[in-house]
Amino acid sequence: MSKATLGIAGVSLVSVLALGFTATADAQLLTHKDLSLAVATTIAQGAIDACKAQGYNVSAHVVGREGQVIVALRNESAGLATYENSMKKAYTARTLRMPSGQFANNVKGNPTAGQLYLTNITPAQGALPIMVGNDTVGAIGISGAPGGDKDEACAKAGIDKVAAQLK
Amino acid sequence: MSKRAYLIAGLSFATMVAGAFSVNAQLVARKDLSLSMATTIAQTAIQTCKSQGYNVSAHVLGRNGEVLVSMRGDETAPHTLENSFKKAYTSRAQRIPSGKFAENVKGNPNAGALHLTNMMPAQGALPIMIGEEVIGAIGVSGAPGGDKDEACAKTGIDKVAADLK
Repeated sequence: MSKATLGIAGVSLVSVLALGFTATADAQLLTHKDLSLAVATTIAQGAIDACKAQGYNVSAHVVGREGQVIVALRNESAGLATYENSMKKAYTARTLRMPSGQFANNVKGNPTAGQLYLTNITPAQGALPIMVGNDTVGAIGISGAPGGDKDEACAKAGIDKVAAQLK
Repeated sequence: MSKRAYLIAGLSFATMVAGAFSVNAQLVARKDLSLSMATTIAQTAIQTCKSQGYNVSAHVLGRNGEVLVSMRGDETAPHTLENSFKKAYTSRAQRIPSGKFAENVKGNPNAGALHLTNMMPAQGALPIMIGEEVIGAIGVSGAPGGDKDEACAKTGIDKVAADLK
Protein backbone atom coordinates (compact mmCIF):
# COMPACT_ATOMS: atom_id res chain seq x y z
CA MET A 1 0.00 0.00 0.00
CA SER A 2 1.17 3.53 -0.73
CA LYS A 3 1.56 6.03 2.04
CA ALA A 4 -1.59 7.74 0.78
CA THR A 5 -3.57 4.52 1.03
CA LEU A 6 -2.24 3.89 4.52
CA GLY A 7 -3.21 7.43 5.42
CA ILE A 8 -6.77 6.93 4.18
CA ALA A 9 -7.00 3.59 5.98
CA GLY A 10 -5.78 5.29 9.15
CA VAL A 11 -8.35 8.02 8.87
CA SER A 12 -11.08 5.46 8.26
CA LEU A 13 -10.03 3.53 11.36
CA VAL A 14 -10.19 6.70 13.41
CA SER A 15 -13.65 7.39 12.01
CA VAL A 16 -14.83 3.87 12.85
CA LEU A 17 -13.47 4.20 16.39
CA ALA A 18 -15.11 7.58 16.75
CA LEU A 19 -18.41 6.16 15.59
CA GLY A 20 -17.81 3.06 17.75
CA PHE A 21 -17.75 5.57 20.53
CA THR A 22 -21.39 5.68 20.04
CA ALA A 23 -19.88 5.90 23.41
CA THR A 24 -20.50 9.56 22.58
CA ALA A 25 -24.19 8.71 22.52
CA ASP A 26 -24.02 6.29 25.48
CA ALA A 27 -21.98 8.71 27.52
CA GLN A 28 -24.63 11.38 27.44
CA LEU A 29 -26.41 12.05 30.67
CA LEU A 30 -30.01 11.08 31.05
CA THR A 31 -32.45 13.88 30.52
CA HIS A 32 -35.79 13.74 32.18
CA LYS A 33 -38.43 15.93 33.68
CA ASP A 34 -39.23 15.85 37.36
CA LEU A 35 -42.00 17.21 39.53
CA SER A 36 -41.32 20.56 41.14
CA LEU A 37 -42.47 21.21 44.68
CA ALA A 38 -45.00 23.72 43.34
CA VAL A 39 -46.58 21.23 40.95
CA ALA A 40 -46.53 18.48 43.58
CA THR A 41 -48.20 20.78 46.11
CA THR A 42 -50.91 21.74 43.63
CA ILE A 43 -51.62 18.07 42.99
CA ALA A 44 -51.79 17.16 46.67
CA GLN A 45 -53.94 20.11 47.66
CA GLY A 46 -56.16 19.71 44.64
CA ALA A 47 -56.86 16.13 45.69
CA ILE A 48 -57.54 17.03 49.32
CA ASP A 49 -59.84 19.85 48.25
CA ALA A 50 -61.71 17.60 45.83
CA CYS A 51 -62.35 15.07 48.59
CA LYS A 52 -63.28 17.77 51.08
CA ALA A 53 -65.86 19.15 48.65
CA GLN A 54 -67.50 15.73 48.77
CA GLY A 55 -67.38 15.62 52.53
CA TYR A 56 -64.32 13.36 52.86
CA ASN A 57 -61.27 14.24 54.92
CA VAL A 58 -58.18 12.64 53.45
CA SER A 59 -54.41 12.72 53.78
CA ALA A 60 -52.15 12.85 50.73
CA HIS A 61 -48.63 12.05 49.62
CA VAL A 62 -46.96 13.00 46.37
CA VAL A 63 -43.77 11.07 45.69
CA GLY A 64 -41.22 11.72 42.97
CA ARG A 65 -39.31 9.64 40.46
CA GLU A 66 -37.33 7.73 43.09
CA GLY A 67 -40.33 7.26 45.34
CA GLN A 68 -39.04 10.08 47.52
CA VAL A 69 -41.62 12.13 49.37
CA ILE A 70 -42.04 15.56 47.81
CA VAL A 71 -45.18 16.61 49.66
CA ALA A 72 -46.89 14.97 52.61
CA LEU A 73 -50.07 16.42 54.07
CA ARG A 74 -51.61 14.97 57.21
CA ASN A 75 -55.28 15.80 57.59
CA GLU A 76 -55.93 15.76 61.33
CA SER A 77 -59.61 15.31 60.59
CA ALA A 78 -58.87 12.07 58.78
CA GLY A 79 -58.08 8.75 60.40
CA LEU A 80 -54.70 8.26 62.00
CA ALA A 81 -53.59 5.61 59.53
CA THR A 82 -54.38 7.73 56.48
CA TYR A 83 -51.01 9.46 56.51
CA GLU A 84 -49.03 6.22 56.28
CA ASN A 85 -51.51 4.62 53.94
CA SER A 86 -51.42 7.49 51.45
CA MET A 87 -47.63 7.19 51.33
CA LYS A 88 -47.68 3.46 50.76
CA LYS A 89 -50.31 3.68 48.06
CA ALA A 90 -48.32 6.40 46.30
CA TYR A 91 -45.11 4.40 46.56
CA THR A 92 -46.88 1.36 45.12
CA ALA A 93 -48.29 3.33 42.18
CA ARG A 94 -44.90 4.89 41.46
CA THR A 95 -42.81 1.77 41.62
CA LEU A 96 -45.25 -0.50 39.80
CA ARG A 97 -46.14 2.25 37.33
CA MET A 98 -49.85 1.61 37.64
CA PRO A 99 -52.80 2.64 39.80
CA SER A 100 -52.43 0.95 43.18
CA GLY A 101 -55.98 -0.33 42.67
CA GLN A 102 -54.83 -2.09 39.51
CA PHE A 103 -52.06 -3.75 41.53
CA ALA A 104 -54.65 -4.76 44.13
CA ASN A 105 -56.67 -6.42 41.38
CA ASN A 106 -53.58 -8.14 40.02
CA VAL A 107 -52.66 -9.78 43.31
CA LYS A 108 -56.19 -10.59 44.35
CA GLY A 109 -56.29 -14.28 45.20
CA ASN A 110 -52.49 -14.40 45.26
CA PRO A 111 -51.45 -13.43 48.79
CA THR A 112 -47.94 -14.78 48.23
CA ALA A 113 -47.17 -12.51 45.27
CA GLY A 114 -43.56 -11.49 45.78
CA GLN A 115 -44.26 -7.77 45.50
CA LEU A 116 -46.50 -7.91 48.55
CA TYR A 117 -43.39 -8.69 50.57
CA LEU A 118 -41.52 -5.57 49.52
CA THR A 119 -41.37 -2.59 51.84
CA ASN A 120 -44.14 -0.01 51.41
CA ILE A 121 -46.07 -1.95 48.79
CA THR A 122 -49.78 -1.95 49.55
CA PRO A 123 -52.57 -3.58 47.55
CA ALA A 124 -55.12 -0.83 48.02
CA GLN A 125 -56.84 1.52 45.61
CA GLY A 126 -56.36 5.28 45.92
CA ALA A 127 -53.11 6.15 44.16
CA LEU A 128 -52.24 7.00 40.57
CA PRO A 129 -48.92 7.30 38.81
CA ILE A 130 -48.09 10.79 37.56
CA MET A 131 -47.05 10.51 33.93
CA VAL A 132 -45.27 12.62 31.38
CA GLY A 133 -46.15 10.70 28.25
CA ASN A 134 -45.08 7.15 29.02
CA ASP A 135 -42.61 8.20 31.70
CA THR A 136 -43.70 7.77 35.30
CA VAL A 137 -42.34 10.82 37.13
CA GLY A 138 -44.06 10.19 40.44
CA ALA A 139 -47.36 9.29 42.03
CA ILE A 140 -50.07 10.64 44.27
CA GLY A 141 -51.66 8.59 47.01
CA ILE A 142 -54.86 9.41 48.91
CA SER A 143 -56.38 7.79 51.96
CA GLY A 144 -59.37 8.63 54.10
CA ALA A 145 -62.43 8.54 51.87
CA PRO A 146 -64.94 5.73 52.39
CA GLY A 147 -63.62 3.56 49.59
CA GLY A 148 -60.47 3.39 47.52
CA ASP A 149 -62.43 4.34 44.40
CA LYS A 150 -63.27 7.67 46.02
CA ASP A 151 -59.66 8.18 47.10
CA GLU A 152 -58.58 7.51 43.54
CA ALA A 153 -61.11 9.93 42.07
CA CYS A 154 -59.70 12.68 44.29
CA ALA A 155 -56.14 11.72 43.30
CA LYS A 156 -57.17 12.08 39.68
CA ALA A 157 -58.67 15.51 40.36
CA GLY A 158 -55.29 16.56 41.76
CA ILE A 159 -53.40 15.37 38.69
CA ASP A 160 -55.96 16.93 36.36
CA LYS A 161 -55.16 20.32 37.91
CA VAL A 162 -51.68 20.23 36.45
CA ALA A 163 -52.38 18.17 33.32
CA ALA A 164 -51.25 21.03 31.10
CA GLN A 165 -47.85 21.15 32.80
CA LEU A 166 -47.18 17.41 32.61
CA LYS A 167 -45.27 17.42 29.36
CA MET B 1 -72.58 13.89 116.93
CA SER B 2 -76.28 13.97 116.20
CA LYS B 3 -77.69 12.23 113.19
CA ARG B 4 -78.14 15.61 111.65
CA ALA B 5 -74.48 16.49 112.21
CA TYR B 6 -73.42 13.22 110.60
CA LEU B 7 -75.65 13.97 107.67
CA ILE B 8 -74.18 17.41 107.18
CA ALA B 9 -70.64 16.09 107.52
CA GLY B 10 -71.45 13.36 105.03
CA LEU B 11 -72.95 15.76 102.56
CA SER B 12 -69.96 18.08 102.86
CA PHE B 13 -67.61 15.20 102.17
CA ALA B 14 -69.67 14.11 99.21
CA THR B 15 -69.61 17.64 97.85
CA MET B 16 -65.85 17.84 98.25
CA VAL B 17 -65.34 14.53 96.48
CA ALA B 18 -67.78 15.41 93.73
CA GLY B 19 -66.15 18.80 93.35
CA ALA B 20 -62.67 17.33 93.10
CA PHE B 21 -63.81 14.71 90.62
CA SER B 22 -65.70 17.08 88.41
CA VAL B 23 -62.55 19.16 88.02
CA ASN B 24 -60.29 16.18 87.36
CA ALA B 25 -62.75 14.51 85.06
CA GLN B 26 -62.97 17.39 82.62
CA LEU B 27 -61.40 16.88 79.25
CA VAL B 28 -58.33 18.86 78.33
CA ALA B 29 -59.21 21.72 76.00
CA ARG B 30 -56.54 22.33 73.39
CA LYS B 31 -55.99 24.24 70.21
CA ASP B 32 -54.08 22.54 67.45
CA LEU B 33 -52.68 23.54 64.09
CA SER B 34 -54.97 22.91 61.13
CA LEU B 35 -53.54 21.47 57.94
CA SER B 36 -54.17 24.70 56.06
CA MET B 37 -52.36 26.80 58.66
CA ALA B 38 -49.45 24.37 58.76
CA THR B 39 -49.26 24.46 54.96
CA THR B 40 -49.17 28.26 54.96
CA ILE B 41 -46.33 28.24 57.49
CA ALA B 42 -44.25 25.75 55.50
CA GLN B 43 -44.85 27.32 52.11
CA THR B 44 -44.09 30.82 53.36
CA ALA B 45 -40.80 29.66 54.87
CA ILE B 46 -39.77 27.92 51.64
CA GLN B 47 -40.75 30.91 49.52
CA THR B 48 -38.90 33.35 51.76
CA CYS B 49 -35.72 31.33 51.46
CA LYS B 50 -36.23 30.97 47.72
CA SER B 51 -36.56 34.73 47.32
CA GLN B 52 -33.15 34.98 49.00
CA GLY B 53 -31.71 32.45 46.61
CA TYR B 54 -31.80 29.48 48.99
CA ASN B 55 -33.52 26.20 48.20
CA VAL B 56 -34.82 24.60 51.39
CA SER B 57 -37.02 21.79 52.60
CA ALA B 58 -39.47 22.23 55.46
CA HIS B 59 -41.44 20.27 58.02
CA VAL B 60 -44.29 21.47 60.20
CA LEU B 61 -45.06 19.24 63.16
CA GLY B 62 -48.01 19.21 65.48
CA ARG B 63 -48.38 18.99 69.25
CA ASN B 64 -47.17 15.41 69.49
CA GLY B 65 -44.32 15.79 67.06
CA GLU B 66 -46.43 14.25 64.29
CA VAL B 67 -45.76 15.44 60.76
CA LEU B 68 -48.48 17.76 59.49
CA VAL B 69 -46.67 18.99 56.40
CA SER B 70 -43.51 17.77 54.75
CA MET B 71 -42.11 19.58 51.70
CA ARG B 72 -39.01 18.75 49.74
CA GLY B 73 -37.73 21.93 48.11
CA ASP B 74 -36.69 21.97 44.47
CA GLU B 75 -32.96 21.36 43.94
CA THR B 76 -32.33 20.63 47.61
CA ALA B 77 -29.85 18.07 48.85
CA PRO B 78 -31.36 14.73 49.90
CA HIS B 79 -30.67 15.15 53.60
CA THR B 80 -32.58 18.41 53.91
CA LEU B 81 -35.95 16.73 54.28
CA GLU B 82 -34.74 14.57 57.17
CA ASN B 83 -32.82 17.43 58.69
CA SER B 84 -35.79 19.80 58.62
CA PHE B 85 -37.85 17.11 60.36
CA LYS B 86 -35.28 16.49 63.08
CA LYS B 87 -34.77 20.17 63.75
CA ALA B 88 -38.53 20.66 64.00
CA TYR B 89 -38.91 17.65 66.29
CA THR B 90 -36.15 18.96 68.54
CA SER B 91 -37.75 22.37 68.69
CA ARG B 92 -41.16 20.92 69.55
CA ALA B 93 -39.83 18.51 72.15
CA GLN B 94 -37.49 20.98 73.85
CA ARG B 95 -39.94 23.85 73.45
CA ILE B 96 -37.13 26.12 72.28
CA PRO B 97 -35.49 27.03 68.99
CA SER B 98 -33.31 24.11 67.90
CA GLY B 99 -30.44 26.60 67.69
CA LYS B 100 -30.90 27.36 71.39
CA PHE B 101 -30.75 23.64 72.10
CA ALA B 102 -27.53 23.44 70.06
CA GLU B 103 -26.05 26.18 72.23
CA ASN B 104 -27.19 24.48 75.41
CA VAL B 105 -25.45 21.22 74.61
CA LYS B 106 -22.34 22.75 73.11
CA GLY B 107 -19.36 21.24 74.91
CA ASN B 108 -21.57 18.55 76.43
CA PRO B 109 -21.76 15.68 73.94
CA ASN B 110 -23.02 13.41 76.70
CA ALA B 111 -26.17 15.47 77.25
CA GLY B 112 -28.96 12.97 77.63
CA ALA B 113 -31.24 14.79 75.22
CA LEU B 114 -28.75 14.23 72.39
CA HIS B 115 -29.25 10.51 72.74
CA LEU B 116 -32.98 10.59 72.17
CA THR B 117 -34.35 9.70 68.76
CA ASN B 118 -34.64 12.58 66.29
CA MET B 119 -32.85 15.12 68.48
CA MET B 120 -30.70 17.43 66.42
CA PRO B 121 -28.41 20.16 67.79
CA ALA B 122 -28.71 22.43 64.77
CA GLN B 123 -30.25 25.83 64.21
CA GLY B 124 -33.18 26.26 61.82
CA ALA B 125 -36.36 25.35 63.71
CA LEU B 126 -38.72 27.31 65.93
CA PRO B 127 -41.53 26.21 68.20
CA ILE B 128 -45.01 27.35 67.18
CA MET B 129 -46.66 28.93 70.20
CA ILE B 130 -50.03 30.06 71.43
CA GLY B 131 -48.93 32.33 74.21
CA GLU B 132 -46.71 30.14 76.39
CA GLU B 133 -48.03 26.90 74.97
CA VAL B 134 -46.13 24.98 72.33
CA ILE B 135 -48.50 23.46 69.77
CA GLY B 136 -45.95 22.46 67.14
CA ALA B 137 -42.79 23.51 65.37
CA ILE B 138 -41.39 24.34 61.98
CA GLY B 139 -38.01 23.14 60.81
CA VAL B 140 -36.11 24.36 57.75
CA SER B 141 -32.96 22.99 56.14
CA GLY B 142 -30.98 23.90 53.06
CA ALA B 143 -29.88 27.51 53.44
CA PRO B 144 -26.16 28.18 53.91
CA GLY B 145 -26.34 28.55 57.69
CA GLY B 146 -28.82 27.63 60.37
CA ASP B 147 -29.41 31.30 61.10
CA LYS B 148 -30.77 31.72 57.58
CA ASP B 149 -32.93 28.59 57.91
CA GLU B 150 -34.30 29.98 61.15
CA ALA B 151 -35.05 33.39 59.65
CA CYS B 152 -37.13 31.70 56.95
CA ALA B 153 -38.89 29.58 59.57
CA LYS B 154 -39.79 32.74 61.43
CA THR B 155 -41.44 34.35 58.39
CA GLY B 156 -43.61 31.25 58.11
CA ILE B 157 -44.85 31.64 61.67
CA ASP B 158 -45.20 35.41 61.30
CA LYS B 159 -47.53 34.83 58.37
CA VAL B 160 -50.13 33.20 60.64
CA ALA B 161 -49.30 35.12 63.81
CA ALA B 162 -52.76 36.69 63.96
CA ASP B 163 -54.38 33.25 64.00
CA LEU B 164 -52.15 31.76 66.68
CA LYS B 165 -54.45 32.46 69.59
